[in-house]
Amino acid sequence: MKKFELHKLQWLRHSVQIMVIVLMLLVPAVSRYANSVAADDIDSQMKAWEGSFQGNTMAAIDTVFRALPEGEMTRQGLTESERDPQAVIKYSRAFRGGPWSAELFGVSMTDPLGAAESIVARKHVAKVVLISLIVPVILTLLFGRIFCSWICPMGLILEITDRFRNVLKFLELKTYNIRFTRNTKYAMLVVGLCASAVLSVPILGYVYPPAIISRELHDLIFTLFDRAEAKLLGFTFIGLTWMSLILLGIILFEVFVSRRWWCRYICPGGALYILLGIKRPVRVQLNESKCTHCVDCVVACPMGLNPMKNEMGPECDNCGECISSCHDDALKFALSLGTSIKEESTESVPVTK
Amino acid sequence: MSTHIKRRRFLKQVAASSIAVAGATAAGKWMGGSGEATACVRPPGSLSEEEFLATCIRCGRCGDACPNQCIQPFTEEVALTHAVEPGAAQRNTPVIFPRQQACMLCNDVESDHLLCTEACPTGALQKTVKQVDIIIEEVDMGLAEVDEQLCYSYNGASCGICVRACPFEGKALTAGMWEKPIIDESYCVGCGLCERACVRFPQAIRVVPKA
Repeated sequence: MKKFELHKLQWLRHSVQIMVIVLMLLVPAVSRYANSVAADDIDSQMKAWEGSFQGNTMAAIDTVFRALPEGEMTRQGLTESERDPQAVIKYSRAFRGGPWSAELFGVSMTDPLGAAESIVARKHVAKVVLISLIVPVILTLLFGRIFCSWICPMGLILEITDRFRNVLKFLELKTYNIRFTRNTKYAMLVVGLCASAVLSVPILGYVYPPAIISRELHDLIFTLFDRAEAKLLGFTFIGLTWMSLILLGIILFEVFVSRRWWCRYICPGGALYILLGIKRPVRVQLNESKCTHCVDCVVACPMGLNPMKNEMGPECDNCGECISSCHDDALKFALSLGTSIKEESTESVPVTK
Repeated sequence: MSTHIKRRRFLKQVAASSIAVAGATAAGKWMGGSGEATACVRPPGSLSEEEFLATCIRCGRCGDACPNQCIQPFTEEVALTHAVEPGAAQRNTPVIFPRQQACMLCNDVESDHLLCTEACPTGALQKTVKQVDIIIEEVDMGLAEVDEQLCYSYNGASCGICVRACPFEGKALTAGMWEKPIIDESYCVGCGLCERACVRFPQAIRVVPKA
């Protein structure tokens, strides 16, 4: 019974991750829809694009917006077939942006890495930056690095591609899992911030996967609709730029050379989240009397930590994979206000595959 | 044995760190070292170009918010249609190409502020209240400029389309004799609606981005 509930946690986590990616794809499409409604062009567009990817997307969004409270969409004496652009703009504001920087129900949120590099590059702290930092920083202070495990779209992609290693093993190909030093990511963070300050350009956003994905998906969707306006219907990947190759490189490196290489050793954003969440109260805790030392949790941990030694220090991203993998009910989330938990030694024993 | 492992690990750490540092430096060089910044029209309320490039985190939220879809990311693909190329540091920054779609200053939208300036999370676009006098005072995307060689009204055919398109008609753009457009620099905010409307190709009236 307990086991089932723990699996529910993983289902919840993966649903959140998938929802983030779906929203990233929907936000630019909804923005286009709002534009077409404001231009009073939506009906002719939907007719011209009927049956194609773009037409179906518009029709689906249109259905959702028409299901919204009636008083909003049909006010100002509009007939039933008309839509009120003000209401569309108002409702489409509920979700904006992507994991790099987003607005959810009027709350502005920015990745602390983006805010930090913007601040050091401009050498001036604007009030809006601080406002958009409030929610992510508070969440990180409480739960640690949950952005990595619950929101980051690259995290989901890498969790999926991580499974390809099993395929390689099945084919009896040699897989490598080279370990690097975890301090590399702090070096990345410091060097990146210094370079941003020197060049007066926030450069970390160009190599940070969530930011790249956020931009690439926007470009992809906008290009699709631009092409539709030029009568080029159907789904293509033309909108992606060469920046996607960075992501592809990371994925290939992780499959063939080093497991979860980017997240464990390189990611500057992860490093900043770790530093923010170093004193987090919500941690995975080990009940040593129940542990049978089966090593399942060590194998499951995507960050390459060792939950068996109760060393869930700053590197842990609170994904709960170790809890789900435990057959003995020895691991659980617990509140600990910074007393008995050891912070040091995040390097796991080389037991992992 | 143990010293051997220690040394190997140390070498690995040094190698990995130096790769990371070299990579970041190379990326930095590539970003800042090559390519001049291209003059381009930024969304309303933007800081000066240099400060804008430092502050903007290229998140694209202003583009999402724009009810007129005039704000685009400055990628090679987008820029290609306008025969320009983004400078290395300008990649993915928000840009307006007035010929394609001009800023309508959130006209007819129920909002207190210009929507893109409200969306900006870093202050690269300063939050601007949507009132005529405040917009005229604070928004400076560029300045319209007439090419008298091209303009129909300067060449014997009265046109005046740009004057009709101007949101501050009679202030920023006034019609002179034979509908010749006369620009008042103190009122023009550089929205580009005149350039968008111009029937001449190439455009006789263009927005020159602010320096």
